Amino acid sequence: MFLALKELRHSKTKFMMIAIIFVLVSWLVFILAGLGNGLSTLAASTFKTMDADYVVFEQGSKSSMSKSLLSNDLTAQLAEMPNVDAASPMGIIMASAIKGNSENANEDKVDIAIVGIEPGSFLQPEIIEGTGLTSGQMTNVIVNETMKDEGFHLGDTFELDGATESLTIVGFVENQTYNHVAAVFVPIEEWRKVAFAAPGSDKGITDPVNAIMLKGKDIDSNAINEQLPGTDTVTRAAAVQGVPGYKEESGTIIMMLAFLLVISAFIIGVFFYVFTMQKSNQFGIMKAIGAKNGFLSKAVVSQVFVLSLTSIIIGILLTYGTAAIMPQGMPFMLDIKLVITYSIVLLVISLLSSLVSVRTILKIDPLKALGRVE
Amino acid sequence: MASGLQIISASKYYSEGSERITALDQVSIQVEPGEFVAVVGPSGSGKSTFLSIAGALLKASEGEVILNGTNISKLSDKQLSDIRLHEIGFIMQASNLVPYLNVMDQLLVVKRMSGKVSAADKAYAVKLLEELGLGAKLKSYPEELSGGEKQRTAIARALINDPNVILADEPTASLDTKRAHEVVSLIAHEVRTRRKAAIMVTHDERLLTYCDKVYRMEDGKLSLAALESVH
Repeated sequence: MFLALKELRHSKTKFMMIAIIFVLVSWLVFILAGLGNGLSTLAASTFKTMDADYVVFEQGSKSSMSKSLLSNDLTAQLAEMPNVDAASPMGIIMASAIKGNSENANEDKVDIAIVGIEPGSFLQPEIIEGTGLTSGQMTNVIVNETMKDEGFHLGDTFELDGATESLTIVGFVENQTYNHVAAVFVPIEEWRKVAFAAPGSDKGITDPVNAIMLKGKDIDSNAINEQLPGTDTVTRAAAVQGVPGYKEESGTIIMMLAFLLVISAFIIGVFFYVFTMQKSNQFGIMKAIGAKNGFLSKAVVSQVFVLSLTSIIIGILLTYGTAAIMPQGMPFMLDIKLVITYSIVLLVISLLSSLVSVRTILKIDPLKALGRVE
Repeated sequence: MASGLQIISASKYYSEGSERITALDQVSIQVEPGEFVAVVGPSGSGKSTFLSIAGALLKASEGEVILNGTNISKLSDKQLSDIRLHEIGFIMQASNLVPYLNVMDQLLVVKRMSGKVSAADKAYAVKLLEELGLGAKLKSYPEELSGGEKQRTAIARALINDPNVILADEPTASLDTKRAHEVVSLIAHEVRTRRKAAIMVTHDERLLTYCDKVYRMEDGKLSLAALESVH
């Protein structure tokens, strides 16, 4: 630490340059991580925040709600399965809402995802304003709070485009989006009316639903698949992956992040390697007067540590600064856990890359100190 | 013999292609505490190899090196590094200070190599530097020092761990005559008052008056030269 800090203080410009590069890299890493998190939340937060552990789909639906159709009769059977604490059906359909009394109906449409659930079941999210769903009032719905920004208020009634149904907002929930649009929770019977308005679209299934959500730890999905032919039980995480576009979206972000992390490893690694090569004569002298490899290696590693830690902290501050001035519509969501994870990853990567320099130090011959090796 | 440096018929061979080069040929020398010995000789004569072996930087192919009563010929690299730290003080050519450490830290870094720096170590470093006329330069960096001051810092660095042996490798290489005399007389003074066994490798024959004995190195062979002949 002694040598490391002395040198950092003495050669400020040199270290400042590499610090700036590393600040920029970590800044970008945090922004991308925040965007990725925001996007995936938008795409599937209804699934992610749901209090369910497993999802039962129709066999062959590849964990996609829109491809799956099951009969609600299965719910009762599933609830009896071992380790299942509760089972509840769910259906999702994309639609658009027309703001009530709008003169310009075609332009004032808002995309929504209608999520059918059983009123009062564990699938109903926490209400932050108003009341929850009631079985008697089929057209009373709860919606995501982002619809407030679109001009919807508590007690408003809106029509669905291309359907005869009109729904009344009785409550608001937060962080409930699906496929990047606000979720509108309706009683499952109301959802059936919207989803299967066309005759025959329910394929003759009684009480059709898209999927049945299960609550309970250690549910044996294979046993369920065997006992109930035609079903496919997956974990909630797998169901999230099945949301259309989700995998592709998060895959893109993860690829960029992976590249950035590899790049940062090389930047730090190569930079300190070149430094070490430059200083090999100096290290040789110190070895000649008795410095051990550990003493010199510690100097380089602690230098990398101090430099990366400082850069990462500055990067975090800049990221929060950026988030503060970002436009409202940007799906940017940075939580502490994510920041800490990526900070540790960046730190570990830079420390690992400094091992290249350590290897160089080990190979330096103290004979160099004498200036002329014969 | 209990203290000082003793080398008993040490040889060093290198293989260059299919040829075997003898860099050192049966070299023996004994330096007592308080004795200042010079080794002179043309370049390529094996002076550096000799100094490297005496300084525990290189192992001899044959023969033994006994430092303060310890035979160091069979020690591991790690042990050799300890020997260098505690038993040997190196004074190297002028540019061999750590560029980003001030004069005081040049000494303290040596202390840090073996652990913590105590208040007593700091006091000793200050005393040493004041003795060598660097009292006003404690906070100066090598780039702010003259060649003579750099070499005096190097002398202080060599003495900080109170080693038994001082090895100087061309300590006057980049100095003018006046400064060269100053530096070598300082080394001679420290060696005698502190009872160190010292070897200086040089080809500057003007400076040999400060030494007790002069050895001549030629083609890997070391021989005692009569002092009169070089004066």
